[in-house]
Amino acid sequence: MMTGMAEHYLVFLELRNGAIAKSSLDVWNRFQKFSSGRDSRVSAFAAGHAAEGAFDCLQGNGTVYHTDGTHFRTGCDSVVCAMIETLSGAERVTGIAFASTAMGRRLAAFLAGRLRAAFFSGCGGSGGVEKVCSRFIHSGTVIASYAAAADMTIFLQGRELPQPEFSSAEKPAIEAFDATPYVVGGIHSLLVHAVSQSCQKRDVAEASVVVAGGRGMGTREAFGMLEELAALLDGSVGASRAAVDEGWRPHSYQIGQTGKRIAPDLYIACGISGALQHLAGIRSARTVVAVNSDPDAPIFGAADYGIVGEVREVIPDLIGILRDVMAKK
Amino acid sequence: MRIVVCICQVPDTAASIAVADGELDLARVSWVMNPYDEYAVEEAVRLKEQFTGSEVVVMTVTEGPARELLQKALAMGADRAVELLAPSVQDSFRIASALAVSLRERYPQTPPDLVLCGKESLDYQNGAVPGMLAALLDIAFAGPVTSLAATGEMLELQRENENGTELLHVRYPVVISAEKGLNIPRKTGIRQVMEARKKPIETISVPDIQASLLLPLGFEAVSVKKSCRFAKSAGELAGMLLQDGHISAGGG
Repeated sequence: MMTGMAEHYLVFLELRNGAIAKSSLDVWNRFQKFSSGRDSRVSAFAAGHAAEGAFDCLQGNGTVYHTDGTHFRTGCDSVVCAMIETLSGAERVTGIAFASTAMGRRLAAFLAGRLRAAFFSGCGGSGGVEKVCSRFIHSGTVIASYAAAADMTIFLQGRELPQPEFSSAEKPAIEAFDATPYVVGGIHSLLVHAVSQSCQKRDVAEASVVVAGGRGMGTREAFGMLEELAALLDGSVGASRAAVDEGWRPHSYQIGQTGKRIAPDLYIACGISGALQHLAGIRSARTVVAVNSDPDAPIFGAADYGIVGEVREVIPDLIGILRDVMAKK
Repeated sequence: MRIVVCICQVPDTAASIAVADGELDLARVSWVMNPYDEYAVEEAVRLKEQFTGSEVVVMTVTEGPARELLQKALAMGADRAVELLAPSVQDSFRIASALAVSLRERYPQTPPDLVLCGKESLDYQNGAVPGMLAALLDIAFAGPVTSLAATGEMLELQRENENGTELLHVRYPVVISAEKGLNIPRKTGIRQVMEARKKPIETISVPDIQASLLLPLGFEAVSVKKSCRFAKSAGELAGMLLQDGHISAGGG
């Protein structure tokens, strides 16, 4: 690692429907906050269509390089990676940061291979921005710590890190990045043809409140009350493996070892027993509430609040009470 | 079609991992094929059944012998197996490098048509090897997929993002990783296990792979035990959550 050289971070800003994804904005703010008052810089790269004023939400210094190519709306990662690679070389970037989204995870791993970078994924605590990473391994039963041993570090960050609070009177400069040299007509090896929307507004991995159901829900229809509770709390619905295996919810809802790892501020587990494999997925949840009819269910050992009872009685009651409270405010 | 599947073994999902003197103690762990890798092997074997003349090679990077793992993949229908012995393979980049070097030796002219991996290994859950391997082989990476349909010229894939599902077309060669939902891996019987014993397993030593880009500093066991406050009614629970600020009366 070269010492004495100022760090220069490049944050990848993912554009969704013309706007910066909230998870990317968090990464930007985290690095801005870390860099303010230090001898380090933060820049950003955004590829794709940006709506008018899409970058107005960014505060802090640095430059946002934006390329508004229609050419790679097809989702051609390799073109985006090639541009980031060039930009990092030209701007002497020492760290590239991605939000842990489907696209972020693909780009981060590919670029780490290209650039021989230390790969910091899912690091908690201060490891978000520094050259040391502490992360869960083995289903969240062990924390491993690593030091980066490369000139370049690639950061992949999700909700496991605290929400950054950053504000500044400064605004970054927006600079157009010319994509033309990177786009060679007609030889895309990979083309996205269609995108179908999920019925879920927000993915469980990105939600600040998650309400999930397990086998104890009993039926597919019973998930309706979880949808209702989640809507009330502006959250998303998840499911345990048992509920997914029953066919009550698609796999994209699954939380756990072979599903998604979530990190909401509030997690409400309904009729979920709490097998080790499920607990592996909720290790980064901040507050856990468990509703289960079995007082000995292991989920209570991982919960901050619990209620022993039938989900089909407790949840409608809870919805009613919360609705009253919220109506009164 | 020339298909390579990269697999690994992980501790059984129920295994409890001990930490002793800052090091992982895996002595009492039983090992299984990484579940996501099972989907990858299954998909490769299905493609082999679809395209006659195809060959499925499974590869693993391992510190010690991994015969059982490879035997299982062979029993599922892979044609041959390669065991790449390398020291200290916790680092995704070292694993990807060992695979890339071996693949370049095995396929010196053009890369294999399809390289399949599991989405991530359940032990380290880094999910980095497939993307890194694609970069090192200089071929496209399509990410984790939940559906795959192949023709001789291209693959039609589905993958999930935060908003829904993407349908994409990919030309060979490509690296793909297997997500849950891709298929249901077949069970193997005595006959398949016996047949697998006749299939070749090569052992190749790759001592000089890339230096590690992550230096382990230490391991620490985590206690997951929380102390749960029990409420007797939904009303009491709501009260606790509101009072402690986990739910705001203003919503959200």
